[in-house]
Amino acid sequence: MLLSSEELLRQLTEAIGPSGQEDEVRNLLRSQVSGWTERCYTDVLGNLFCEQGSDKPGPRVMLDAHMDEVALMVVHAEDNGLLKFRAIGGIDPRVLVAKPVYVGAQRLPGVIGAKPVHLQTASERRKPLNIEQLYIDIGARSKEDALSHVQLGDAAVFATRFGILGDGCVKAKSLDNRAGCAVLCEILRIPAETPRIGVFTVQEEVGLRGAAVAAYRVAPDLAITLETTVCADVTDVPGHGQGTVLGGGPALTVQDGQTLANQQFLAFAVRTAERFQIPYQFRRVKGGTNNFAAIQRSRAGVIGGSVSIPVRYLHAPVQVMALQDYHNTVRLVQAMLHELAEGGWPL
Amino acid sequence: MKELIMELAACVAPAGREDVLHAVLTQHLANCADDIQTDVLGNLIARKHGQGQHVALVAHADEAGVMAMHADDEGFVRLTAIGDVRPACLPGQTVQFCNGVMAVIGAEARSKTTEVGWAQLFADIGACSQAEALARLPIGTAGVVWAPVQPLSEHRLGGRAVAQRTACAVVIEAFRALANAGRQVSAVFTAQQTVGARGARTAAYNLQPELTLVVGAAPAGDTPEGPRMALRLGAGPALKVMDGTLLTPARVLRHLADCAERCAVPVQYEVWPGGQTDAGVFQWTTGGRWVGGVSCPARMVSGSVSVVDVRDAAAAVRVLTEAVGSYA
Repeated sequence: MLLSSEELLRQLTEAIGPSGQEDEVRNLLRSQVSGWTERCYTDVLGNLFCEQGSDKPGPRVMLDAHMDEVALMVVHAEDNGLLKFRAIGGIDPRVLVAKPVYVGAQRLPGVIGAKPVHLQTASERRKPLNIEQLYIDIGARSKEDALSHVQLGDAAVFATRFGILGDGCVKAKSLDNRAGCAVLCEILRIPAETPRIGVFTVQEEVGLRGAAVAAYRVAPDLAITLETTVCADVTDVPGHGQGTVLGGGPALTVQDGQTLANQQFLAFAVRTAERFQIPYQFRRVKGGTNNFAAIQRSRAGVIGGSVSIPVRYLHAPVQVMALQDYHNTVRLVQAMLHELAEGGWPL
Repeated sequence: MKELIMELAACVAPAGREDVLHAVLTQHLANCADDIQTDVLGNLIARKHGQGQHVALVAHADEAGVMAMHADDEGFVRLTAIGDVRPACLPGQTVQFCNGVMAVIGAEARSKTTEVGWAQLFADIGACSQAEALARLPIGTAGVVWAPVQPLSEHRLGGRAVAQRTACAVVIEAFRALANAGRQVSAVFTAQQTVGARGARTAAYNLQPELTLVVGAAPAGDTPEGPRMALRLGAGPALKVMDGTLLTPARVLRHLADCAERCAVPVQYEVWPGGQTDAGVFQWTTGGRWVGGVSCPARMVSGSVSVVDVRDAAAAVRVLTEAVGSYA
């Protein structure tokens, strides 16, 4: 069944997809796009490729969106049945304590716990809890009991339900980057005017690994990464620290931790947004990066860039996004693809 | 040589905006190269087809700089780094942006000198409002510290980007000599080296040379309480033994040393464990490649100004010309 934008976002963000274990997300995406693609296949790492418009003239465009999310990996069961874990991808340990999680593909409920505050030493109270001081409690009574339910290597994700906030915002886990996946889904449902390859990539959060392999396979003429990005327009943050503003439109990168924007692509994106009267903003922060860094450096170099939806509280258990930014991102990417087909930027 | 270095060092080409340098490079290469191309990352590659195996001479074109990231209601612009630029060194400096806009750099009054980070710095471009600032200096505009290169003595030059542009001049001169002698050779002016050898990746994949000789600047240790490097200015080019990306294969290092001896050029040896260069990327491309390096010693190489001795550069040209010409 074809899902609406909101329902697509709900199902994608409630699906489980830690880096390296993206199966559930990939299966959901395949069910949503396979009817619209000429060829739909995976590679060794688990990237999902969706080819369209191979008989059309024009540049071969790769559209990338990573499927994976930051998560926790169970690495040890204590004698008392509590589970020790490590982070998969970049997680601020301060967001973890007292959060409900699901462990493993079977969604075993658990809670992240720590020694109670009245038993902490004075020096422990002054510092935030680190990962070594935390554990996942699945209600097991012993090591044997715990290991009869989970395996070491199982991943735990935040047990967050998707929901609507106020008038036009959504809250969910893993909007980074299921929102980008949803944008790519919606784009793939629009008839292709040029050859294009949508790629839902794996293992972005652990080092842009899926995208590096996918870009080498596709060898595109142009690539666009569909992402979410830091949005810190909150209390006590000066204008020059905010990165992006919620509701300000899709964000274009000028420089991030691993990419200097291609000047022609940036000018093309701005020109297109202005022609179609789509709001946009620049990502006004340097830290962090996304898959385009790996794609750009593939083979003899790939032209392109990224279009990102502002999301507050990235990598945290609950993230917030404005639906208006989401829809404007779909519009901008669609407009850019149309301009490419019309020769608006001859490659 | 001196004039060429000064001409190249006058170009403002922070990483990502190497295009500013391309016109000047092309002008010096056009009459001896078979073709000159730029690629997606911003590398400029000149090729000459001829005798012998394909050898590439590599120097990075880019330099570290700053980028406009935000403008506030009063028209003050906030900056971030392109590559390795220390924010604490910037207050009181002048910055020249690629579009010609000039700025003076200040720090928030309540910040301590030692603790100045990007969040405390601002650029004053003389704008009176956010709209005026953004119109003149769009977000993403790149710039460099304004410190034009100057002759300091008969043989020595000091100023912004002089170390790196000396390497570019060496590659130009060596390429011209080799191309005019009918030798197969490429000159590669890589982009985005200062932000992590990004251009080198795609250039190496594209060219796949038999041998790559990376020409750069290595820190001289001859300044007061200088860095722990056994290199002196004016004591000859440095043959790269190792940097942070490459251990030069003994075969290549011996070839370079033999060539220097044949040219009667005194050389020094570069052992620079922390050096981040393009060399390793060329070695690792497409199954592994032969790579070596010849560097010109430069003082204060990681600062906003550096000092070189033109005699080291001229001698480097002779060693490189012999090394490529006699490479079997």
